[in-house]
Amino acid sequence: MSSVLLSVEKAEVVYKRAITAVQGISLSVRDGQIVALLGTNGAGKSTTLRAISGFLGLDDARVTEGAITFDGHRIENRPPHEIARRGVVLVPEREKVFQNLTVAENLAAPVPRAADKRRLEDQIYQFFPRLADLRGRVGGLLSGGERQMLAIASALMCRPRLLMIDELSLGLAPVVVQDLTRRLIMIRDQLGIAILLVEQSAAVALSISDYAYVMENGRIVLDGDRERLNSHQDVQEFYLGQSDGNGQDSTTARRSYRDVKQYRRSRRWYG
Amino acid sequence: MFRSTPRASGYYRTGYGQDLALIQTRTERISLAILVTLAIALPFIAGPFLLDLACQVFLASIGALSLMLLTGYAGQISLGHAGLIAAGAFTTGILAREIAAPFWITLPASALTGILLGLIFGLPSLRLRGLYLAVSTLALHFIVIYLGGEYETKRGFSTGILIDPPSLAGFKLTDGRAWYFVLLLAAAASLMICINLLRSSSGRAWRAVHARETVAEALGINVAGYKLLVFVISSSMTSVAGCLFAYYRGFVSIEAFDLFLSIQYVAMIIIGGMGSLLGALLGAAFVTLFPYLIESLLALLPNIQKFAGDIFAVNYTAFGVVMILFLVFEPLGLVGIWRRLQNYFLLWPFKYRPLTGARK
Amino acid sequence: MQLFINIIVLASIYALIACGYVLIYRVSRVLNLAHGELMMLGAYLVLATASLFAGHPLVALGAAVLLSIVVGAMVYVFLMRKMTGEMVLAAILTTVALGILIRGVIVLVWSAQQQYPAQALNLANPSLTLVGDGHISLWSAVLVATNILVYGALFGFLRFGRWGMRMRAAGQNPLLAAQRGINLHTVYALAWGLSTLTGALAGILMALDSGVTGSMPIIALKAFPAALVGGLDSLAGGLVGALIIATAEVLLIYYVDPLLSDVVPFLVLLAMLIVRPWGLFGTREELDRV
Ligand SMILES: Nc1ncnc2c1ncn2[C@@H]1O[C@H](COP(=O)(O)OP(=O)(O)O)[C@@H](O)[C@H]1O
Ligand SMILES: [Mg+2]
Repeated sequence: MSSVLLSVEKAEVVYKRAITAVQGISLSVRDGQIVALLGTNGAGKSTTLRAISGFLGLDDARVTEGAITFDGHRIENRPPHEIARRGVVLVPEREKVFQNLTVAENLAAPVPRAADKRRLEDQIYQFFPRLADLRGRVGGLLSGGERQMLAIASALMCRPRLLMIDELSLGLAPVVVQDLTRRLIMIRDQLGIAILLVEQSAAVALSISDYAYVMENGRIVLDGDRERLNSHQDVQEFYLGQSDGNGQDSTTARRSYRDVKQYRRSRRWYG
Repeated sequence: MFRSTPRASGYYRTGYGQDLALIQTRTERISLAILVTLAIALPFIAGPFLLDLACQVFLASIGALSLMLLTGYAGQISLGHAGLIAAGAFTTGILAREIAAPFWITLPASALTGILLGLIFGLPSLRLRGLYLAVSTLALHFIVIYLGGEYETKRGFSTGILIDPPSLAGFKLTDGRAWYFVLLLAAAASLMICINLLRSSSGRAWRAVHARETVAEALGINVAGYKLLVFVISSSMTSVAGCLFAYYRGFVSIEAFDLFLSIQYVAMIIIGGMGSLLGALLGAAFVTLFPYLIESLLALLPNIQKFAGDIFAVNYTAFGVVMILFLVFEPLGLVGIWRRLQNYFLLWPFKYRPLTGARK
Repeated sequence: MQLFINIIVLASIYALIACGYVLIYRVSRVLNLAHGELMMLGAYLVLATASLFAGHPLVALGAAVLLSIVVGAMVYVFLMRKMTGEMVLAAILTTVALGILIRGVIVLVWSAQQQYPAQALNLANPSLTLVGDGHISLWSAVLVATNILVYGALFGFLRFGRWGMRMRAAGQNPLLAAQRGINLHTVYALAWGLSTLTGALAGILMALDSGVTGSMPIIALKAFPAALVGGLDSLAGGLVGALIIATAEVLLIYYVDPLLSDVVPFLVLLAMLIVRPWGLFGTREELDRV
């Protein structure tokens, strides 16, 4: 089994010294693994990614407890550029490209530049041939899918060992998402990069990840490899929108509030 | 005295009248009485130098209060405060000089000038925010100063305009003690105006505009109107301060109203503490007295001769340092320090601890 | 002809100063109102290095210029770094306070009298005669040339230089820049260093031309409208803005009233703020960001 690249142990993140957004979560990512982080809005997925990549300081937040270790180094509460240089690179949810810089400049701006920069660039244009055509276009004029590609590409220019993508499929057409996930798998296979994805769509996440965690209210409530989650009753019911535990379609045959998904989900997970 | 929340240990109000009362607890009544007694007694125990200092602090307080209204509460940044003071002072000087206008004409005239300039200064604020607004007030400052300078040179008063002391009902205002009471009254009146404005609907509207302009607009607040209103009120108060300043000094010269004066006023509300009238008063006192403090500190040093010629440079340096220290280390200003001290004694022997997370 | 030369010289002065404002604003959204004082400090530093490297005027000038870069970077590292993430007003006021501090220190160290760095360096300032009977002093000519050089270099640096590109990136989206491994502190310190460098160049050349007193920062304050008229985040804007302001100023002084000198830039600025607040070449969104 490959070695553990990133490990988060019982991390707790507090915003503005008052709001605890993440409450003692633990997760790990191994070399070359694609891991997905699932959960509804406000579950704390973005916060977790920001905590790993050192983005919290600007929102007046801190990792108050626990440890985040990357490749043997503690990285919690370190400045973002330092973490980026260790090889942890984030594609954020919004504002993921430099709007006024051209595609080529977006790819040239990142700092830990490989010595064989040209080769890397060619490789990236191979993964995303569309970008090669758009070289001179400024980032602000790209479509959602192109922007996501550019964001991933410029993240790759940092030579990451762990690539983190927040909301991979948000606002993108299903075909585009399919295309992107195919390329991500290609990238993982060819560059040997581990990927940590945040997704709201369980179907997308489970289609490419080797392992997945489900977050709810700042905690991890469920985790397992693809097969386990795919066949897990709760996931099927709550995230994949398949029939509920009683064999009925949960959206049509709702008789009391006890049948409402939200209610049963919290009952089952919080006891 | 400056907070709107109940100050007693519980909620004891039984009528709307009590809700509106400015003084609510016995402690407040007693401390206010002591303060008033002290203020009245001061001119009879203090020498002329101290009286002059007190008068300067009062004058600065009016300007600082009006700037606090504008910047601290309504959130409109102004770097042109000195221009407004100059406008008041020059209105007074010109009227007194040209048509020998008496006090009861120059004072309202200054206020009127202030209202007019408030409209002019306020107009850019309808379009501009933050940095750009600050810059536009800066530009207006230079234009007012230019007009004043133009008047001085064209009329041959290039060293400044001399003004006779004002007479009120046949009584000439020359005595330092009389001035003290006049200015004390003026400052107290300004304070009352500010307190009452802030607890009225306009005060709430200004705070809303400050917090989030678009939201204020969506809530049905006439943002443009309230912005202009605060500019008009603030600058007419400032102009009146300028008028009083002109009479108090008996002399107006454009040199006195440079950019540094504007900065000093901004420094007053920063050092005092943004968003607090008490802060404006503390800041005004601090900034006004600061040069004298430095001077007396220098006098304690053994080799004063070295600095004697450059006393103003020492002042500048020290002022810059103090301003930086406040901006970097105590953004809440003197009021912040005061509140912390209060809390310290209130909570003693417990220590105040900020919230750190849910469990800690 | 002489009028034209005067306009060019004044425009160069304003442009050279304006690019300092633009650099810092563009990268960190801070308006540096201490720019004038930092510029003056550059001129006074020449006095210091002149006595240090007596007999080597070029070495002394070079040392002063290098020192000014260090001063600018230090201002960021020791002061402005603490203001990141603070309100716009607080950051501006910090620079104002810094300006006051520098002024005081300069008088304490060098006294308030007018000083002539050119004499300290043993450099002459002959008047050159140009075609059409126009005159220009040597150091003014050098200033115009320097201005062109500086703008050329800055354009190239920002467009093609690796760190220039990073400065642009950081100015647009600091969070993402940090995520891409760009150390924001380095970028900001670099911007402050470069800005102070250009300011000091302006200050030194003006001082070589006509000496230096404590009132030099006024000129920088008048150059600020040039930066804003052009657009605070646009380098080309600084050049155009300076030309507009200088033309208006020289012509109005000549034909209307010399006293207008100090207000003309601000009149133009006010007109611009009413018509097009974001400047000729600025980005419109800027207005909502501050
Ligand atoms: N800047 C912030 N300040 C305060 N609270 C925040 C901030 N960002 C997020 N939160 C809170 O943290 C919780 C988790 O948010 P987030 O991590 O963005 O969720 P997700 O990405 O899973 O939708 C939410 O309840 C949100 O209110
Ligand atoms: Mg999110």
